[in-house]
Amino acid sequence: MHYSFYPGCSLEATATAYLKSLEAVAEALGIELEEIPDWNCCGATVASGVVGDFTQQVLSARNLAVAEAKGNDVLVACSSCYLSLAVTNKRFQEDDHFRKLANEALAAGGMKYNGTLKVRQVLEVLANDVGLEKIKARVTKPLTGLKVAGYVGCQTVRALPWEFDDPEHPVFLDQLIEALGATPVYFPLKAKCCGSSQALAQPDIVVKSCRDILSSATSGGAQLAVTPCPMCQMNMDVYQSKVNKDLGTNFALPILFFTQLMGVAFGLSPAALGLKHCIVSPYQALSSFGVGQ
Amino acid sequence: MTGCNKSPNPLKYNGSFSKEVYHLESGSYVKVCMQCGVCVVSCATRQDMDYTPRKLFQMIRAGKKEEVMKSNTMWMCTSCCTCKARCPRGIPIVDVMHDLKSMAIKQGYVSYPQAAFYQAFWQEVLGRGRVFEGGVTARFFLKRGLGDIMKAFGMKDIGLSMLKHGRMPLVPPKTIKGMKDLRKIVEKAQELQQKEVR
Repeated sequence: MHYSFYPGCSLEATATAYLKSLEAVAEALGIELEEIPDWNCCGATVASGVVGDFTQQVLSARNLAVAEAKGNDVLVACSSCYLSLAVTNKRFQEDDHFRKLANEALAAGGMKYNGTLKVRQVLEVLANDVGLEKIKARVTKPLTGLKVAGYVGCQTVRALPWEFDDPEHPVFLDQLIEALGATPVYFPLKAKCCGSSQALAQPDIVVKSCRDILSSATSGGAQLAVTPCPMCQMNMDVYQSKVNKDLGTNFALPILFFTQLMGVAFGLSPAALGLKHCIVSPYQALSSFGVGQ
Repeated sequence: MTGCNKSPNPLKYNGSFSKEVYHLESGSYVKVCMQCGVCVVSCATRQDMDYTPRKLFQMIRAGKKEEVMKSNTMWMCTSCCTCKARCPRGIPIVDVMHDLKSMAIKQGYVSYPQAAFYQAFWQEVLGRGRVFEGGVTARFFLKRGLGDIMKAFGMKDIGLSMLKHGRMPLVPPKTIKGMKDLRKIVEKAQELQQKEVR
């Protein structure tokens, strides 16, 4: 299994634990990730709000144009990058007028994209290309008894609704949690928005959203939560103390990338999984599975 | 039948603003809205919006430019795509919000902090081809000025905890090698967008 890998800007900074754990888990499962050379920022939905969707999608397409030389499926981890690249790719494949115009813009930099690639979210690749059975077989420390909230967030499943999971009640992440031996909890807000990039401009929105989501997760009995999204992880983890301070709650729910939890079940070292980057400490919740500080 | 009388002060619709919006990339979808309100019940931030998306669309059709452009509605949108996934008319509401944000920035309606954040983010993209989160933060506060910088001190614990846990590199990533070409691509895309995209 060989993929062109688009890491995205967050995985180089705030979500460095996602990159570390993804690479470790991929190696354990025999997935080869080849980083797209000289990739650029996808622009996310933020660039769309400045220069419009077309320019943002052309920006994203530069990465696909570079990756097309190899012809491998493009694997994306970050939800926002996935939305940008997957929606752009679909427009290249289905909208002739768009493809012609976008290629006219790419030509200004000596590039062209023919729309021949597939853009894949890492959760979907794990479920469909690797398969839950193979993941289950790789587990050396089953997370028996651990109650986990699978926080999918918004853009991963709503970038292209029904492309690989239910946009309202996603199931892939819960199935993965089960494959690791843990128990997914009842979690009605698992696909609700965390407030995303409002974190800097208007943090009170993030604080309120995270309070609701944390409350939904913990009322289901969760001991920790996992997510495939760098923004969700950051807001729920980094802002959790602010939620407690501003709204008088006392949440202490560790928020991990789902790849970190996979690594724990695979018996990989906490250092390789970047557990030290978690702000709400995960060590107590994971102590029965041989994970220590 | 007094109800059939003509109003003494009939409301005049000004079509120029709605036409302006219909000419944006996804703007013409505003015409398709049937005012059902599914977007409203789906919206993650509706409680913080001046007008709900449904109402905003109707105001666009009624030509209320100043009310629409000065509202916080599009800036509250987090692009979570719930409304887009649910709209029974298939309106990409999120994309319309992108258009309105972009138009607001071009026309100088930038009083909301989100507008400063969006511009800071884009400057990072155009600067080195990748976004440095520390750079976005610095640019954001420079744009917002002293008042917001003082508020930021209330958030210092958050910054410090990220620093402590190795999640806030202080050195930006290197500029991508293809930066010169990327700028040309973006420039051409902007030019085409003005003329041909819709």
